Amino acid sequence: MIELIDLTKKFKQNFAVKNLNMFIEKGEIVGLLGPNGAGKSTAISMLSSLVEPTSGDVQFENKSILKNPSSFRKIVGMVPQEIALYEDLTAEENLQFFGRIYQLRGKKLSKKVDEVLEQIGLTDRRKDIVKKFSGGMKRRLNIGVAMLHDPEMLIMDEPTVGIDPQSRNYILDTVKRLNAERQMTVLYTSHYMEEVEFLCDRIYIMDKGNLIAAGTKEEIKQIISSEKTVSIKAEILKHDFIQALEENPLINRVTVGEKEVTILVPKDANVFSEVIKLAETNGMELTSVDNKTPTLEDVFLHLTGRALRD
Amino acid sequence: MIWHIVKKLGLYFWRNPQQLFLFLALPIILIMILGAALGSNFNSESSLITLKVAFIEHEDSNEQMVAFLQDIQDEVPDEALQAIESSLPSMEPIQIITSVFDNEEVNEFLQVDYVDPSERDVVMNDDSYTAIIEVPNNFTYNVLHTMVFGNNDAPTLSVTYNEEEQFGSTIVNNFLSDIQEQLTKGSYLGKNGIDLSTVEIEEIKTETISLNEKNPISASAYYTIGMIVMNVLFLAGAVSYYAFYEKELKVFNRIILAGVSRWTYFSGILISGTLYAFLQSCIIFLFSKVFYGINWPNIIDFLIVTIAFSFAVGGLAVLLSAINYRLNSETITSFFMNIVVTILAVIGGSFYPIGDFVPLIQTISNMTPNGAGLTAYLSLLRGDGLAAVSDNLLFLGLFGVVMVVIAALCFPKRGVSA
Repeated sequence: MIELIDLTKKFKQNFAVKNLNMFIEKGEIVGLLGPNGAGKSTAISMLSSLVEPTSGDVQFENKSILKNPSSFRKIVGMVPQEIALYEDLTAEENLQFFGRIYQLRGKKLSKKVDEVLEQIGLTDRRKDIVKKFSGGMKRRLNIGVAMLHDPEMLIMDEPTVGIDPQSRNYILDTVKRLNAERQMTVLYTSHYMEEVEFLCDRIYIMDKGNLIAAGTKEEIKQIISSEKTVSIKAEILKHDFIQALEENPLINRVTVGEKEVTILVPKDANVFSEVIKLAETNGMELTSVDNKTPTLEDVFLHLTGRALRD
Repeated sequence: MIWHIVKKLGLYFWRNPQQLFLFLALPIILIMILGAALGSNFNSESSLITLKVAFIEHEDSNEQMVAFLQDIQDEVPDEALQAIESSLPSMEPIQIITSVFDNEEVNEFLQVDYVDPSERDVVMNDDSYTAIIEVPNNFTYNVLHTMVFGNNDAPTLSVTYNEEEQFGSTIVNNFLSDIQEQLTKGSYLGKNGIDLSTVEIEEIKTETISLNEKNPISASAYYTIGMIVMNVLFLAGAVSYYAFYEKELKVFNRIILAGVSRWTYFSGILISGTLYAFLQSCIIFLFSKVFYGINWPNIIDFLIVTIAFSFAVGGLAVLLSAINYRLNSETITSFFMNIVVTILAVIGGSFYPIGDFVPLIQTISNMTPNGAGLTAYLSLLRGDGLAAVSDNLLFLGLFGVVMVVIAALCFPKRGVSA
C-alpha cells in the first residue's frame, strides 16, 4: 500500500531522517518506535506529505505522493502529537469545522459528527468547550477529527502522550477496534514500547534518524535471543554495587533505574548467586532478582546501549 | 470554506472576554477617559484649540479714508470718484480684517483683543498671545491707493508670532493669507474697472462663507474617530496572532492535509480581518452616536469609508500572518502591536491633529491607513462627499492591495504540492 524509499530529510548539516525504508500493507497496524528526537515525527510528516523530503520517495499504490499528494491526502487521517484543536470551540464545533474542510456538509456532516462523537465516547460532552476537557478527552477528540472523512489509513504521532492510564487504554482499544472492524491501516509512533507491543503487527525502530531494526515483534525480539534480561530491585541502589555489576565480565549491559537495575547477560549464564554475593559485599539489601521475558525495550537497549526514554 | 474560517475566528473572539475587551471596551474607555480629561469641551461643539491675538491699529482708518478721497478728487473723473466713495465702506481693509476675526465661528477658537498702541509693550511681553498684528501708519490709505491705482508698493501689516505656539501661529498666518487674497482681489477688480460696490462684497462674503459652510469638528468627534482608527489596527495584530496560533497547534497542517488550498486559508484571514475590523468600527461608532451624538451626514459614504479602512486593516492582518508564518515566530506581530501601532497613531493624528496645519505632516499622515481613515472620516463629518475623500479611499484600497500582494509573496509553501 505505502512504501518509503530511501527517505531522507536534512536540516542544514544534520540528518533528521537518513535513508529510511519502510512499507505498510493495507489493514496492518505498524509501529514506529524510537526515543524522542529519533526522527519519527519528521518521518511521518514526510509520509503524510506535509514535509518535502531532501531525497527519496513515498509511494502510495506504486505512485509517488510527492507528485500527486492530493489522492493520498484523501485517504489518510493524521493525528498529530499536539492537540490540534480549537480550544475555544466546542467538541461539536470542532468536528463540524474539520468535517467542513473535508467537504462534508448538511445531514452527512451531522451524521458523521454524531458517529465520531459516539466512537470517541464524547457524545454527552459535545456542547462543551474543549479547553474545559481533560487531557484524555482532548486526545480522543484529536483522534476523532482525523476519522471524520473515513480515512483508509490513520497516522498517529504519539497519541497518548501526557494522559491518564484509563484514557490511554480507551485510545488503544479504539485503535484496535478501528483496525478490526474497518480494516483501517494504522501507523502508530510512540516511545512507549508496551503500547507498540500491544497494538502492532510489525515494528520499525528508529534512533538518531536511522532505522535500526524492523520486523514482527517476535522477529525483533530474536535479535536478543542469545541474551536474557535480569531485573534487580532494591530500596536503595548503592553506587559501588552498580559499579561492581558494570565491571563483572558476565554482564553485557547495565541499565540503572530509580529502584531497579536491569542487566543483559548471556542466555545460559546463571548470575543469581553472583548478584546476591555482590549485594552482600556492598552492604545492600535486595528486594527481588528476576529473569524477564525480553521486551522491545531490551532490544532497543541491546541495539543502542540506551533506554528508549533516555 | 472561507466562511467557516471566518466564523471560527469570530467564535474565538466572542468567547474570549480579553479579546472583546481589547477590541470594544478599550477604545470606548479611551474615548471616555479623553471625554473626562477634556471636560465640557468634549461634549460641546467647541474647537480643540483656543488662540489669542492682539490687534493694534496705530492710526485711525476713517481719517485715512477721508484723506484718500481728498487726495484723489483731482486725479479721477467725478463719476469714478462717486463710485469709489460709495464702495469705500466695503473696501476698507481694517474692516475686512476685523470682519474675519469677529466672525462668530472664528470666535469659538480665536479671541481678538483690540489693543491701544500705548499698551503695545505690555502685550509684547504677554506670552498668552499667539500673535500680535500691528497696522502701521497710513496702512488704510496705502491699501486703498493700491486697490484703485495699483501703482503703489504693497502696504504690509506687521505680525509678531509667539514661537512657542507654532500651530496657533500657523492658523493666524492662514487667516492673514486669506485676507491678503481678498485685498488682492479688490485690487485686481479695481484695476480692471469692475464696479467694486457690486462685486467685491460678494467676494468677501464667499470667503467668509467658506469658513462657515462645513460642519465644525468637535473634540468628541475627533478623538472618537482617532481612537477607533488606532484601535482597529490592533485587530490586524490579533488576527495574525490567531493565525500563528493555528500554525503552532498544527491545525494549519490539518487544513492543508484536508486538501484546502493555502490561498483559501489566506483569503480567510484577509476576509476575517476586513469583516471584523468593519464590525468593530461600526460598533464603536454606534456607541459614539448614542453617547456623544456623533452623527454622520451620509451613512452610505460613512460605510464606504469604513469598508475601505477595514480592507486596509485586513491587508495588514494577512501581511502580519504571512510574515509570522515565514519567520515561524509571532515577534513581528508583537512589534506591530507594541510599537508600530503607537507610531502610526501619532503620525496618523489619533492623539493630536498634528497634520492639520502643516501640509507635509498631513501628507505623511495620510500615507498611514489610520491617518487616511481619520482624514476621510473627518471630511465626511464636515459634510464633504465621497469625491472629497477619493484620495484617501484610493490610498486605503491600494494600501490593502499592496499588503495582500506582499503577503502572498511572503506566505510560505506548506507541504508537498503537485
